[in-house]
Amino acid sequence: MELYIGGNGQDKLNYVLKNRNMEENQVWNNLHLWFREKLKAGGQPEKELREYVRQHPDSVFISDEVGNGIVPSDEFEREYRERLGRMLTEIAAQSDRVERVICGIGQRIK
Amino acid sequence: MITLVIGGSGSGKSAYAEGLLENFTGTKYYLATLQAEDEEAVKKVEKHRMQRQGKGFITLEQPRDVCCAVEYAAGEKCGMLLECVSNLVANEMFGECICPSESVVQKVLADIKTLAEKLDELVIVTVNVFEDGIIYDTSTMEYIYALAQVNCALAQLADTVTEVVVGIPVSVK
Repeated sequence: MELYIGGNGQDKLNYVLKNRNMEENQVWNNLHLWFREKLKAGGQPEKELREYVRQHPDSVFISDEVGNGIVPSDEFEREYRERLGRMLTEIAAQSDRVERVICGIGQRIK
Repeated sequence: MITLVIGGSGSGKSAYAEGLLENFTGTKYYLATLQAEDEEAVKKVEKHRMQRQGKGFITLEQPRDVCCAVEYAAGEKCGMLLECVSNLVANEMFGECICPSESVVQKVLADIKTLAEKLDELVIVTVNVFEDGIIYDTSTMEYIYALAQVNCALAQLADTVTEVVVGIPVSVK
């Protein structure tokens, strides 16, 4: 399993496709958006994602980093940041490779 | 030895910081600055408490004036985990009255230095609140700059600075 994280607009998808020699259908891009939608609909994205990972242990995930700001006053926004952060930490722990992408350049941190 | 740990929300910085004191053999204190004022904060405090359970920490609650914890720090071989600087700065700044940021920065740094002098190990947890690109109201912006100044000064003071990203420590200093 692999995880690529970084700020919005850091060209993460292109970085992964080019440097890891992958096609777009081999990666789960914008994991944060999926997570947010699930959460908004009252779902349990963590549960679904754990099940997905169990069935696809070689997944490649790309997600925005959303936790580096002032704690939002809106309850949903707070929950989203916190829960996505925890989930990404969990995925990172199970990944063989984790990279942080900034300005289109990856830094391997695991 | 002073270690500064920085990370965003849900980054796993607390668990990492706790782990740094895992093998410390002296008395270990957890200096909590979060005030459990509403239901959400109560839950958060409880979650952190559960996470620390069995790790040998004695919890001290000190929402502000952290130098008061110096009486505990003065014992033989003491380690402390201060969590976290973002709450501390907010509590000092937005207490009974709104304090000017310069004096808050000076006070927080002086208080932490007082503690550090007495401790064998001090692990300080702080938060990266600086990258959401939002322009907030004046008092929030003042808070952000105050926390940033405190973080920079603590990083100077620290022997080690580590950023935690999705639970992975990345060395900064």
